[in-house]
Amino acid sequence: MTNAIPTSFDALPTTQRRFIGREVDRIEDRSLVTGHAPFIDNFTLPDMLHCAILRSPHPHARIVGIDTSRAEALPGVAAVLTGEDMQRWCNPTATAPEGWGPYSLAVGKARFVGEPVAAVAATSRYIAEDACELIDVEYELLPPVADATTALDLATPLLFEENGSNLIVGRNFVWGDVEGVFAAADRVFNAKFRWNRVGANPTETFGCVCQWDLIEDRLTCHGSYQTPSFMGLGRAHVLRLPANRINIVSHPQGGGFGGKGGPRGTDIASLLSRKSGGRPVKYIEDRVEYLLAGGGQSWDRYYEAWLAVRADGTVTGLRVQLLDDQGAGAEGYGTISVAKPLAAFTGCYRIEAAEYDVKVVCTNRAPSYPYRGYGPPPHNLVLESMMDLAARELGVDPAEFRRRNYIRPEQFPYTIPSGNEYDSGNYEATLDKALELAGYAELRAQQQRARAEGRLVGIGIASTIEPGVFDWNAYATVGVPGVGVPEGISIGINLLGEITARVGFNLQGQGQYTVVAQLLADWFGVEMGAVRVVYTDTDHAPPHFGQGGSRLGVSISGAALGACQRITVKLRRAASVLLQAPFEQVELMDGVLRVKDMPQAQIPLAQVVGAMLARSDLLPEGMQPDASATSVWTAPGRTAPDEMGRCKSYLTAANACHVVLVEVDADTGKTEILKYVIADDCGTRLNPSNVEGMIQGGVAQGVGAALLEQYVYTDEAQPLVSTFMDYLVPTINEVPMTQKAALVTPSPFAPLGAKGCGEGAIHTTPAVLIAAINDALSPLGVQVRETPASPHRVWSLIRSARGDRASV
Amino acid sequence: MKPAPFDYYAPESLADAIALLAKFDDEGVEAKILAGGQSLMPMLSLRVARPEVLVDLRKLAELHYIRDEGDTIAIGSMTSKRAAEESALIRERQPLFHDATMNIGHLPIRAHGTVGGSFAHADPAAEYPAAAIALDMQMKAVGPDGARVIGARDFFVTYLTTDLAATEVLTEVRMPVLAPGTGWSFREISRRKGDFALAGAAVLLSLAGGRISDSRVVVFAVNATAVRLPAAEQVLRGQAPGEALFREAGLAGAAEIEEPIADVHASADFRRHLVSVVVARGLAEAQSRARG
Amino acid sequence: MAQLHRVRLTVNGREYEREVEPRMTLVDFLRHELGLTGTHVGCEHGVCGACTIIKNGQAVRACLMLAVQADGAELRTVEGLAGADGLHPVQQAFIEKHGLQCGFCTPGFLMSTVELLEGTTSPGEEQIREAIGGNICRCTGYQSILESVELAAQKMRAGQGS
Repeated sequence: MTNAIPTSFDALPTTQRRFIGREVDRIEDRSLVTGHAPFIDNFTLPDMLHCAILRSPHPHARIVGIDTSRAEALPGVAAVLTGEDMQRWCNPTATAPEGWGPYSLAVGKARFVGEPVAAVAATSRYIAEDACELIDVEYELLPPVADATTALDLATPLLFEENGSNLIVGRNFVWGDVEGVFAAADRVFNAKFRWNRVGANPTETFGCVCQWDLIEDRLTCHGSYQTPSFMGLGRAHVLRLPANRINIVSHPQGGGFGGKGGPRGTDIASLLSRKSGGRPVKYIEDRVEYLLAGGGQSWDRYYEAWLAVRADGTVTGLRVQLLDDQGAGAEGYGTISVAKPLAAFTGCYRIEAAEYDVKVVCTNRAPSYPYRGYGPPPHNLVLESMMDLAARELGVDPAEFRRRNYIRPEQFPYTIPSGNEYDSGNYEATLDKALELAGYAELRAQQQRARAEGRLVGIGIASTIEPGVFDWNAYATVGVPGVGVPEGISIGINLLGEITARVGFNLQGQGQYTVVAQLLADWFGVEMGAVRVVYTDTDHAPPHFGQGGSRLGVSISGAALGACQRITVKLRRAASVLLQAPFEQVELMDGVLRVKDMPQAQIPLAQVVGAMLARSDLLPEGMQPDASATSVWTAPGRTAPDEMGRCKSYLTAANACHVVLVEVDADTGKTEILKYVIADDCGTRLNPSNVEGMIQGGVAQGVGAALLEQYVYTDEAQPLVSTFMDYLVPTINEVPMTQKAALVTPSPFAPLGAKGCGEGAIHTTPAVLIAAINDALSPLGVQVRETPASPHRVWSLIRSARGDRASV
Repeated sequence: MKPAPFDYYAPESLADAIALLAKFDDEGVEAKILAGGQSLMPMLSLRVARPEVLVDLRKLAELHYIRDEGDTIAIGSMTSKRAAEESALIRERQPLFHDATMNIGHLPIRAHGTVGGSFAHADPAAEYPAAAIALDMQMKAVGPDGARVIGARDFFVTYLTTDLAATEVLTEVRMPVLAPGTGWSFREISRRKGDFALAGAAVLLSLAGGRISDSRVVVFAVNATAVRLPAAEQVLRGQAPGEALFREAGLAGAAEIEEPIADVHASADFRRHLVSVVVARGLAEAQSRARG
Repeated sequence: MAQLHRVRLTVNGREYEREVEPRMTLVDFLRHELGLTGTHVGCEHGVCGACTIIKNGQAVRACLMLAVQADGAELRTVEGLAGADGLHPVQQAFIEKHGLQCGFCTPGFLMSTVELLEGTTSPGEEQIREAIGGNICRCTGYQSILESVELAAQKMRAGQGS
């Protein structure tokens, strides 16, 4: 059977859709609200040891010697691990591109503050930390590479001497006749931007419990893993084990949003287990470790951009120059975040030609890791700021300016210059909805009144694309091979008609288990309570990837639908015997197998399955007694990239428009959000409250990136942020309660027409908040071009605009 | 992030506590008093504080009280901030201290943090030291040689340092009730609600015949201790209140700050500027509450 | 190792007694000594609120306290909310309003909310913000949490569990 995966609810075998597409309570929640969910730090094994890690206090230093004898002598210490063990047992971590990965404990030299240098396994975490203090490390300080802007200078020291340069990736992408459109442009606008480091900061840090079975030479790693199979492959490479001897057991995660520092922690705990005779070793990263080195840092960027515009306001060309600071190597796959903007480089607009000049460098800051959105939030800030700059200079309302340049509804599917294809959309409708919800005309009037009183009130509008359902091909430009990302599910129905679905990813907060249950309940006509969704580890799971790239809701739906189709064929074959009707005449509808032209001839699903499993004598010749199926889905129609990186990468293109009203306090530089509205079109909504939660959560993280959060480093590459007193995550008092409107332009290609929706708001919120602040500041003639727009930064701009009149 | 080892004592009486402190002092053992622990615990977990001994005062029921002494309110040092926050006596008769309390961290911090703990910890960004200087509060300490009373001006010495001896326990803080007609304000400018202030001000303002007869301007989070700003008070004296005057006072006050603190959130310049803003705003608020 | 100290306390109505090192934090004590792992650890320096519990009737941070300080105390944790009759109305409200995503911060929010609603039946938005303003959620953006607390208040006024 090669049934196409349905792209709308109409194809479901039900006349009364009760669950999918509707707001239902999440099946995940009972264990979470009672404190029973097995987060990794709740998990223990007999005889378990606890790991603490000694980290480098220096950004760049040669390790001259390590003396672990005092630590080893401390009662309760079972093993101490250093770089020597790494060299004996391990490979450096794999990276994209290759060759920019260190060992999991520093070997030879440390490249950032917080880099693991040695580790201890002891009977308690308290003792392990005591032991770390007893390890003596002799360092020889090396001059640090403190900032991307100097990383490529000839006099600058090298992080990876063998590579001969600090340049990880240098590419110039030209799509279309860039020179031509810039030469023909009536106006060219230019600006520079600085996006400072932010990061995921889930409330749960990374943790794992690893046990090396020395007899069978197998490794089992329990942990807060968001991409279990990928983690297993990486560990196999580093730890020199066959991948099928590593079982990755993912636990529910207290938020993900990107890397949680898993690889190094897992390697270290695994090797400590090996070194302590196979005892299980728990490593729980603490918040300081997370903030210094735990995979929480992303997007450290310098941009310069140019926009080519015709006199009639048509934008024809976009050039973006990016200098990206990856920190100390490519171990966190942060390079991917530089490639991802190709999937939506020119945003919502018909821009015919574009250029992307990229330099990705390493410095002695902490390595860069993925963070929600994986790259576009800064890119969108640049693009939307350039649109605003052009609109302001041309005297056109920013809403109107965007409207003129939107890709039009009849143009879909639409291929953008950087190669990706947008599946569907109606951007003008989204804009109009947002403007209507905001009461845009009244907002402008309100702004005029406020300005007359001397207040700095601004309105921001941002329109963005959220590429959804990622594919490896999108990242080929930084050296990631492959096309297609599998997501699998195994579904079985038991004798009583109860359904179990096994998946390869664990809970992280997005509610995908609920979506699976909604879908199966409607497909088979049962209550959601009759469906169980069960996590399976990499020893048992079907091919899978897990959360990442705004794809899992769509991908797991595709997999589930495929499995449902296969099971349905089996049910129909069995039912055709029981109903004495030809196979073609038998259908599944509303939980019964029935004859199409004779609907009264029907048997409930459970009876059919019961007959299949208990009455093989009734089954057609050769049919197995099996009401189960495994199905693995990947986005259809993806293509390999050409020499300019162009390919069909992300399957879906969701679209959002945010409109906000802010007031900037001229005396303090503080921004207050007065109104925030969102119109969002992510196609079919499989569970509308899940979608709203994704949007609002993205807004919160966007507020953080735009106004509060920053990993601050000194000129010597020393981090100044290591606690939540300094890294300012928004609380309820900083996040606006938003008004939201849903538009639905289904994807013609994706399962049930749903689009990836987990990252749209963080793609948009930083851009729209900065736009609003800039609108507020525009009477002063200054603009924010660096994030976050902290009180200090904004006040400095205001002061410069006022010509230093009052220096205090 | 686990504390280094220490020994622990929870004496049953104030006398026992003082005796213990004296003993450790004699022996050269570094002992630290544990009150609510809301500032000390992170320092222990980060291992930036590594006392050999903690002397926990939690059993000293005798230090839990808020007492109305007519013109004075006395608070036992182990009283929780939340108890202070919920005290009608404090809210009604010394609203500046009440507002200072409401600016401290978040509710669960105030529930376990003690009033005395904040005074003894003397964080530059803490609210109570500023209130103490604004209100000329008096701190009662008891040591091996008996009790003594220390005025706020002498109590706060420098960053995380008070006049308390290693063998003394802060037992009580005393404040006058607000004089009738006096306007007050306690406010701060911070990145997020509940964060340590970038700059804060405690202000008192008295009016007579439409003019400012007296004022008290204290700022915090900008120097090693909260500081009184006589230059600002000087600008105000005898003048008719108004926004321009308050701004001028703020600027004058800010100008006399020596070397403001700089950190990741605000440079020294910015802090100095914020002092002028928070003082001006505090004065305006105090004026709105003043009668006379 | 420092001398061990005896800690006797009540958690969710049950008495416990253990000997612990004085340096052990209360949250580690609850989680690792008593096996009550519903109280989570997010920052260990008192900012995130994930470890919020109720001590002697008031919401406090279990990471900012030593186990020895809780000797003699009466504690309540998330494990004590649901009873034989089902979920606590606050838990039910968080489910119905999608007031959680990953759920890691949720026990802290629940305990802050329970303390609030046991003291006041009709809190205004400002009171709610004061009660949960020290709890960080990185997933929801707080809107559904605010709605959850409002619904929980409604449920508790109506005296309904689940």
